[in-house]
Amino acid sequence: MTAPAGIALTGLAKTYQGRGQVVEALRDVTLTCAPGSFTALIGPSGCGKSTVLRVALGLEPLNAGRVLIGGQPPEQARAVGVTGVAFQDAALLPWRTVERNIALPLEALGRDVSPHRARIRELIALVGLKGYETALPGELSGGMRQRVAIARALVTEPQVLFLDEPFGALDQILRRQMNIELQRIWAETGATALLVTHGIDEAVFLADRVVVMQARPGRITAEIAIPFPRPRAPALFTDPAFHQMEDRIAEALHGA
Amino acid sequence: MGRNGLLALLVWEVIGRLGLIHGALPAPSAIAIKVWADRADYPPHVWATLQASGAGFAIGNLVAILAGMAFVLFPRLMQLARGVNIALFALPPLVVAPILSLVLEGMAPRITLAALGVYFVTMSATVAGLMHYDRRAADLVAAYGGGRLAVLRLVQLRGAVPAILSGFRVAAPNAVLGAILAEFGGGGRWGLGAYLLGSLGRADPARLWGIGLCATAIAGASYAVFALISARLLGSSRAISLNPTLPPVATQDPAWLRLTLGLGSALLPFALWWGVLAILAAPEMIAKTPLAVATYLTSPDTAPQAWARLSEALAETLPIAGLGLILGLGLAFALAVSGRLMPGFTRAFLPVALVTQTMPLVALTPLLVLMLGRGPALTLWVTISVTFFPAYVLMAQGLAQVPQGAMYVAHAYGARGWREMRLISIPASLPWAFAAARLTVPRALLGVMIAEWLATGQGLGALLNQSRGYLDFGMIWSIATLTVLLSVALYHAVLMVERRVLRRLGMAAAE
Repeated sequence: MTAPAGIALTGLAKTYQGRGQVVEALRDVTLTCAPGSFTALIGPSGCGKSTVLRVALGLEPLNAGRVLIGGQPPEQARAVGVTGVAFQDAALLPWRTVERNIALPLEALGRDVSPHRARIRELIALVGLKGYETALPGELSGGMRQRVAIARALVTEPQVLFLDEPFGALDQILRRQMNIELQRIWAETGATALLVTHGIDEAVFLADRVVVMQARPGRITAEIAIPFPRPRAPALFTDPAFHQMEDRIAEALHGA
Repeated sequence: MGRNGLLALLVWEVIGRLGLIHGALPAPSAIAIKVWADRADYPPHVWATLQASGAGFAIGNLVAILAGMAFVLFPRLMQLARGVNIALFALPPLVVAPILSLVLEGMAPRITLAALGVYFVTMSATVAGLMHYDRRAADLVAAYGGGRLAVLRLVQLRGAVPAILSGFRVAAPNAVLGAILAEFGGGGRWGLGAYLLGSLGRADPARLWGIGLCATAIAGASYAVFALISARLLGSSRAISLNPTLPPVATQDPAWLRLTLGLGSALLPFALWWGVLAILAAPEMIAKTPLAVATYLTSPDTAPQAWARLSEALAETLPIAGLGLILGLGLAFALAVSGRLMPGFTRAFLPVALVTQTMPLVALTPLLVLMLGRGPALTLWVTISVTFFPAYVLMAQGLAQVPQGAMYVAHAYGARGWREMRLISIPASLPWAFAAARLTVPRALLGVMIAEWLATGQGLGALLNQSRGYLDFGMIWSIATLTVLLSVALYHAVLMVERRVLRRLGMAAAE
């Protein structure tokens, strides 16, 4: 694995032309993620957290501000496969097998897939889907599809991992399970991760630092470091210290 | 269905044997015997029709898919081509057939007409299919540096296959219909259209029925082949009819650009017309340019007489087309609604509707003449029959797609039957009703003109036929231009009402 790259977002500003009024989606959002760190971005619906991620991926233009991924603008970073991404709905192509869905980023990058076959098999094992290599997405459960999406995000050996509510569509039980697995996978790859989420427990369990956003205008209102040592065990979910940390974030979110 | 079909055949046999409909409806056994007697005639005619429609189908689809891809990649190009697309959709093939046989030779008019019948259906299916894709998957490809072409290749194209296949399915009978119409209207020795034309004067109903049923079988088989392919390929069968709409292009272009594109889109069909004639280098006497038609319709030498004949013909054609359209749509709506209330009825009726939809109109009309005579009743019947079935299929589809959630709400509060229809199903299927109206407007005009040409000797259809006899090329081109403009105008009229109503109801047009 190559050395992880950091994320530097500086003074991001973005406005939409809404119905007759200008919507300020982002105002002066500045966020730096050290190489190899895990940052969670949390906030109410419509606070612009997904926009931050889309901007960081270079999928949306900015009115002001600068994005650097490992010192490069996002368009350059993604062109060399530095970034990996997983979205809320797995967004698998229904006509491609698990293997071929995982290979999609390689094809999008215009790379030859065949030298990566072994790597794809490894990834399928990593996310616990051995034996499902040639299954179609329609034959998989929601949780399995999401695992495919995670494996797909890792196929380019990214140094930076963007996760947009990757488990948002899963039920609570499955989500816990996936959180534990994601921690393991992240630790194995050593990538810099930026996770957008609704779930306070998920954020606290996974992240080194939780960044709280508020809406109208979309802005960062708090940054809270999560000190729990790693690797974090499932027992952490029931730890009183964990709940205190959740309460702190809830306060920051609801402005108590 | 099998039992019903057998029963219908039996009734037909009895009616035919007893000669109940003035001998115009021969018994199935009589038709079969006649087809057997004529068996040596069929192969070359069928082969010619198959060749022309096959070539037209291939060419039309190739152009349509490439155009659809280009339109999705460059939305402004779609805006610019809008006029051409709608004109091609509204083009009554009957009117184009004589013109094509004026400027092209050999098989070319038939292939062209078959291709024209295919283009719009497949193009709009391609566009609709390419526009319906998983945005997240497209984002994903973009996030890995994939450009527009990569998104098209990796995400959109494969996702559009079902839509394109159902486009093929509807387009295939269109190609057969186009080829037969061109054979019928353009002369030539071989082809089912030519065979039909040659048999018209013989007063042999059994042969006309034989040709008509043969044409229907070919059209129906072409539909079935693609229905089978898509069912095999996709595992489930999809929509059975297509809605002729171009997705609205949401752009934030400045007003001047939109105006330019709109103007360009209106002018492009004329430019194309001009350009094609220039490329073909057809003689000026026969091939009239837009300017020549405009001159013909305005110069003091020709205009007064031309307009007198045109307006007389229009006065005969338009009212009956309008009446047929309204009756056809009304009947379709009534039947679709009652079918919803009595689902068994729809199941039994839909296959019949599909068969009739693929029945080539030219082949149908002489048979109707035999049964109904040559009065306005015939024209009305032809018009209703060409508007009713496609409208019915679309509306039944619309009613079947009413959101379940909304239905549950109605049921939870005890609304059933007619009340549920009034509250939920009818408003929810309104976009489909409009789509049906848009689809049937040009068909109504085509139906009336075919009936006029073949039977009643009145209106635009007859005027077109006469003008061919008199070699009055100015008039032929004028009728063609006028019919297309009329079709486009009616299409736009429906579209305007549709947009206004749907916007007020906060609904989107059906796709």
